Amino acid sequence: MTSPGSALSVREISPEEHLAFLRTRPSASFLQTPAWGQVKAEWRRESLGWYDGGQLVGAALVLYRQLPRLKRYLAYLPEGPVIDWDTEQLSAWLTPMTAHLKKQGAFGVRMGPPVVTRRWTAAQVKEGIADPAVRRLGDLPPTERDATGARVVAQLHELGWRPQVTEGGFAAGQPQYVFQVPLVDADGAPRTEEDVLKGMNQLWRRNIKKAAKEGVEVTVGSTDADSKDDLEAFHELYVHTARRDHFTPRPLSYFRTMTDALTNEDPDRFRLWFARHDGDLVAATIAVRVGTHSWYSYGASSTEKREVRGSNAVQWAMMRDALASGAHVYDLRGITDTLDSDDSHVGLIQFKVGTGGEAVEYAGEWDLPLNRALYAAFDLYMKRR
Amino acid sequence: MSLTLTVDGPRWRAHLRAVAETHPGLVPVAKGNGYGFTLGRLARKAAWLGVDTLAVGTYDELPHVASRFDGDLLVLTPWRPFGAALETDPSLAHRIVHTLGRTDDLTDLLDRQPDARFVLERMTSMQRHGFSARELWAAARLLHDRHPGARLEGIALHLPLEQGSHLSEVDRLMNDVVAAELPTRTVWVSHLTDAELAQLRASYADYDIRPRIGTGLWLGARDALQVTATVLDVHEVERGDAFGYRSRTAPKSGHLLVVSGGTAHGIGLEAPTGDQSIRARAATLARGGLDAVGFVRSPFSIDGKQRLFAEPPHMQASMLFLPHGPRVPEVGEQVQVRVRYTATTFDRVVVS
Repeated sequence: MTSPGSALSVREISPEEHLAFLRTRPSASFLQTPAWGQVKAEWRRESLGWYDGGQLVGAALVLYRQLPRLKRYLAYLPEGPVIDWDTEQLSAWLTPMTAHLKKQGAFGVRMGPPVVTRRWTAAQVKEGIADPAVRRLGDLPPTERDATGARVVAQLHELGWRPQVTEGGFAAGQPQYVFQVPLVDADGAPRTEEDVLKGMNQLWRRNIKKAAKEGVEVTVGSTDADSKDDLEAFHELYVHTARRDHFTPRPLSYFRTMTDALTNEDPDRFRLWFARHDGDLVAATIAVRVGTHSWYSYGASSTEKREVRGSNAVQWAMMRDALASGAHVYDLRGITDTLDSDDSHVGLIQFKVGTGGEAVEYAGEWDLPLNRALYAAFDLYMKRR
Repeated sequence: MSLTLTVDGPRWRAHLRAVAETHPGLVPVAKGNGYGFTLGRLARKAAWLGVDTLAVGTYDELPHVASRFDGDLLVLTPWRPFGAALETDPSLAHRIVHTLGRTDDLTDLLDRQPDARFVLERMTSMQRHGFSARELWAAARLLHDRHPGARLEGIALHLPLEQGSHLSEVDRLMNDVVAAELPTRTVWVSHLTDAELAQLRASYADYDIRPRIGTGLWLGARDALQVTATVLDVHEVERGDAFGYRSRTAPKSGHLLVVSGGTAHGIGLEAPTGDQSIRARAATLARGGLDAVGFVRSPFSIDGKQRLFAEPPHMQASMLFLPHGPRVPEVGEQVQVRVRYTATTFDRVVVS
C-alpha cells in the first residue's frame, strides 16, 4: 500500500512514451497498448500519462465513444488504466484522470481495473458444476481472496463509481471472469511443461497425445505485411466456425488491422497458430502477449476431422510457447460465472477448466457519470439495446 | 397476585433447540430485561443449549449472567475508556469479548489489557457504532504493526432490521473485511434472515459466520408464551360514580376491575413499535383520540376482547372499565395481557 509523494497530474502523452512506460512494467492488458487504439479505429483514442513531479508513473489508453449526434463521449479504458492499484489513495490517481477526461468532452468514464478479487481452482469449478446447489462461481468459497482487489472495490464504491453488473452471460464490455493457467509456481519459479501437462485433466492429456499420434502438425503462421495468405486462411476457418457456432464474425479487415498494429508495436505481440492434419487446416488461433502475460485471443476449428483434436494440439503449442517466452500466465480469457450444468455457456467453461489452472475474478467494469443527464440517457440506451 | 409469564416449556425448549440446530455458531443475546424472561434465566438456558458464547448488551449486565453461564461473554455495546467497562470483575477478564468501534479505544484497551479479547465492529447502514472501511484498514495495520499478539476474535456487523435484502450491504461490508486483511475469519452478524444467512455462508464458506440472535431465539415461538394478570377486585359502578386516584366519574354503569400489572411492569408504558404502516399509524392516532376523552385501550383482554383503562395504570395494578353486557370476571380469575416482551417486567415467569 503506497501513496503518491505529491499530487499527481494527468496529461496526454505520445504513443511512444506510452509504449516505453508499458515496457517498464512486467505486463499490462493488450487492450491498454497504444496498438490496440489503432485496432479500435472507429473511436478517438488518447494515450494518458500520470506524472508524479516529472516522472511518468502511470499510463492509459482511452477510447472515446461518441454519443449519436452529440460531441460528447464515453471515455473507455478497457482493462485499465495501468496505475498503482495497490494504494489506499485511489482518488489521487482517479480524480485528475476524470478531470482531464471531462475536459475532453466525456460525459462518463468506464474502466476495468486490472485487479483480481477472487480465484478458484479448476477442481473447485469442476465440483461446482457437478453440484446442483451451486449455480454461480460466487456460490463457491474461493481458494483466494485478494485484499488489494477488495480495497480497490471498496474505494471505487466510496468514490462514486458504479459496478457494471454481469448477470448470467457475458457482459457488454470485457469479461469479469476469465480462466488462466499460471505458468509460474507460488514462488514465481517457472513451471515445467510436464507440470503444466500434469495439471490438465485426463481428457486434455489424452487429446493432446492423440493429436500427436494422428500426426497433427502445429505451425506458426506468417504475419508478414506482404503475405496475407495465412491471415486469410485463419479468417476462412473462423468464418466457418462462426457459422457453425452462431456468432457474428468480424471482417478480415479487422484482423488485418490487428495483425499490423500489434506486430508493428512488438514483433512478439501477436502470433497466428495453425494445426493441420494431412494438409487440412483443422484449427487456427491468435495468441497475444504483453510482457509476462500471454492470451489465447481468437480461435477457429473445422467441423470435419474433430477426432484428430487439432484444438487441443494448438492450445498446447501456444502454452509451450508462452512458457518458453517466460510468460507467467496463459490466459484463456472470458468465462461466464455460471456453473449451472443446464446453462449453454457451461461447455466453454468445461473446455477451459480442462487445462488445469484457475477461474479468476477481476474487479469488473465500473462507470463514473460525469454528466448525470447524459449518462442516464446513455445507460438507458445501453439497457434497451 | 402477579403479572405472570407462563411458558409452555416443552414447546419453548424445542424451539430453542431447533434454532440452535439450524444456526450453527449461534450466539444467544441476553440483554435488557432478558426479553421478559430475566437475564439469569436466559444465561441458564444458553448453558443448557450448549453454546460457547453468550452476548450481553452492556457491561452492567455481566454480573447477571456470569455465574449462570460459564462460556465466553460478548459485550455488544462498544468498549469505552470510562464507566462500567473499566469496573468489570477481574475474574471475568479472560471470558469477556469486548466490542471495539474506534481506533483510539483499540489502542487504549490493549494498553490497559494486552491480552484482552475483542471483536472489531464495522459500521453498517445503522450508523450506530463501528469503524468505517478505511478505519478498519487502519485498525488492521495497527494490530499488525503494534499488537501482533492481540486476541482478535472476529468482525462484528450489526445490521438494521430488514427492509428488502441485506445482501448487497453485507457483500460490501464483507469486501471491506477482506480488504482489511485482518488475521481472523470469524464474522459475527445479527438480523439476517435465514435465507440471507444461508447465502452468506455459501459465498463466504471460508469464513466462520456466527449469528447473534435475541428476539428470534427467545421470542420466536410466540404461541408457547402466555401472559396473564389476576383480577384482584370487582366493583359495580353507576353512571356518574367517582373512582380512582383522580376521582374520574364513570361514563355509564358497569364494573370497575382492578387487575394486577401496572407501570412497574411496563404496562401502559408502550415503546413506539416502529411499525410504519398506514394502518399502524392510524391505530396510534385512534388510541391518542381515546386518550383525549379519557379512554385508552388497555392491553388486558377479557373473553378475547381488549378492555379500556378506567384511568391511567397504577404502579402495580390497573383499573379497567367493563360496561354492562359482557360477563363479569370473578376475583382471582386470570385475564390475558398483550405485552411487548422487551419492555415488560413480569412478577413471575413460570416455565413448565
